[in-house]
Amino acid sequence: MSIVILRFAAALYLAAAAAYIVFFARPRHRRVATVAFWTLAAAFGLHAIAIGVGCSEFGGTEFFSLRGGVVLIVWLVTGAYLALQRWYNLPSVGAFVTPLSLVVLLPALFGTPGHPTVPPDAIRHPTITIHVLAAGSAVALFTIAFGVAIMYLLQEREVKGKHFGALFSRLPSLDALDRLNQRLVRAGFVIFTVALIAGTLTAHAIWKNAWSWDPQQVVSVGIWILYGAMVQLRHSGWHGRRYAVMTLVGFAIVMSSMVSLRLVPGITRHSGDYGTGGSVEVSQ
Amino acid sequence: MNGRDLFLVGLSHKSAPIEVRERVALTGDALKAALAELRGIDGLGEAVVVSTCNRVEVYVQAEGEEAACRFFTSRSEASTGHLYLKKGAEAVRHLFRVAASLDSMVLGEQQILGQVKEAYGLASAVQAAGPFMSRLCNRAFATAKRVRTETEIGRGTVSMSQVAVELVEKIFGDLKGRAVLLVGAGKMGALSAKALASLGADRILVANRSVERGLALAAQVGGSFRSFDELPHLLVEADVAIVSTGAPTFVVTAEMVSQARRGRRHRSLCLIDLAVPRNVDPACGDLGDVFAYDVDDMQRVVEQTQEARRSEAIRAEAIVEAEVMAFTREREARAALPVLAQLRRQAEGIARAEAERTLAHLGGKLDERGRRSVEAMAQAIVNKLLHGPTAKLKQAATGGDDGLPGAAAELFGIAEASTQEPPRALPAATPAPTPAPSAAAADPVAAGGSKR
Repeated sequence: MSIVILRFAAALYLAAAAAYIVFFARPRHRRVATVAFWTLAAAFGLHAIAIGVGCSEFGGTEFFSLRGGVVLIVWLVTGAYLALQRWYNLPSVGAFVTPLSLVVLLPALFGTPGHPTVPPDAIRHPTITIHVLAAGSAVALFTIAFGVAIMYLLQEREVKGKHFGALFSRLPSLDALDRLNQRLVRAGFVIFTVALIAGTLTAHAIWKNAWSWDPQQVVSVGIWILYGAMVQLRHSGWHGRRYAVMTLVGFAIVMSSMVSLRLVPGITRHSGDYGTGGSVEVSQ
Repeated sequence: MNGRDLFLVGLSHKSAPIEVRERVALTGDALKAALAELRGIDGLGEAVVVSTCNRVEVYVQAEGEEAACRFFTSRSEASTGHLYLKKGAEAVRHLFRVAASLDSMVLGEQQILGQVKEAYGLASAVQAAGPFMSRLCNRAFATAKRVRTETEIGRGTVSMSQVAVELVEKIFGDLKGRAVLLVGAGKMGALSAKALASLGADRILVANRSVERGLALAAQVGGSFRSFDELPHLLVEADVAIVSTGAPTFVVTAEMVSQARRGRRHRSLCLIDLAVPRNVDPACGDLGDVFAYDVDDMQRVVEQTQEARRSEAIRAEAIVEAEVMAFTREREARAALPVLAQLRRQAEGIARAEAERTLAHLGGKLDERGRRSVEAMAQAIVNKLLHGPTAKLKQAATGGDDGLPGAAAELFGIAEASTQEPPRALPAATPAPTPAPSAAAADPVAAGGSKR
């Protein structure tokens, strides 16, 4: 059931992405941007229902699979972008973030959603909800930062290379993109820190061991250090192109670790076995 | 009375050289006096004079163009050969095109609409413009607004200093808390610095070899003067540097900028070179966080804009055409109204008189109900008789057949005086471009024009 609703939401995402792209091509038609915004808001609402229905179907276990994680992160990305649009009014960003969300969401729309078996006491543990939501939100912000960094690099190429083409007039100023990127990275880092703390508490409670050299733990600390360094380097003047490139690298590491750690069965206990450390069982 | 129509006599940058234009151009009080003079001419209805540095155009609602021509010939004999004359819809179209900036030297520039508004405001203030000009000008303003919002004719930048502003805007967003450095006392540099001030630049620094000129320029642009030798240091302080000296070599070298970058801690630096020969080493643009532009780069932006505007102008012309047609149709519809009103007034007068006569004959033989029946019958006959002609006249008016109202007036023997223009009763208190309430009553020009 939840997947059917999710497919409808995806159709709305497609419509919103199309509208944002039309607006990007024809910036004079401001109404299109408004339509895109509300279509995206509708997609966000429907997506929320899909997640809610999914929760009652699978009892929360779906968030421990890659698919569930992606579905949650795309929802959070959309929510974060909607909020950003309200605050900063940069509809051209939508032409980058919305299609990106849609592409990431696509694999989750097909096939039967698999979900790992997770012991009920783990799901009911209070810190794990915070851990999952915070980790998802942080990745969502890093995703938008990634989109903004790409916009920055495109715009920098236009401005510095004296192209003055279609992108030049449509993309926001370098300074605006740079500052937005920095804010997203900083906020993402703070929320990621919360995710790590909640994760550590959860590990301590359920695995009876706060640090077990689980590959996901190791990679996460690496990512935390990377983004932490970016926040620090900003204070010593780093900005612009280098910052955008670092954002791309950071996001690439986040995404590749997320995917690869779940494709190799049993490599991390984050893949679903939250019990004592045995093999992963995935029930269909 | 012969039909009054709209006449335009004028000259512009397309028809006359500056030597001629400057001799007939008028501003302020001189323009007011000229309008008053036009107003005093017999047989001339309303007048508006648009006078800018690129054009002088006299729009009159009159029986002929003589008065408008005299406006020019009396000021400069030389203008005779450069005048253009347009009449009726042609003149309307010309005004709409002018207001929409389709006739401007720089296609799509924004100032002309304001200048036309000002011209109308002035004519209206001295009561040279009345209800007709009010409708005409308001339609022109609406057309210009439509063109501006529905096409991209006003997009992009067409002057060097505006290009500089746009480039800086794309890099920094705005200049709040940032400093602009002006190197050299070139005119273009000063213009650009002033334009950049619109982005909220915090400080303007002026560096020039000649202290005297540098100080003068600093005062002019509201900046502070710095010694030319400080340049390497100033490149650390400023975020935008506009360079336009007369020096034949690079004043800002790559080495100098490279050095400055160390102190800038990755802050972006925008170098705009307005000088020919160039004053900024083009190699500067290869350095990280440095954006360097020369005159050619900026000229390219101007050309791109002009190209884009020319293609937008085609769409703008279509809008103008539609508006001219709509205006003409309205004018004709208006022309039929006085005839209709008069026709009805006349017929009702007859009906009332006849009913009274009949009632007087009958004396007291009728009760109140009977009297009312007689009156109602007379009114009903009028309504039934006039129903056909009314419909036809309205139809003819909106359909553009301006012959019928005149024919109807003649056929029904409607007095000439009734369709004539009322005395110039335009309230002086309506300088704002809003249609005067009395405008609804009659369109003297259109009414006049419909009769031959």
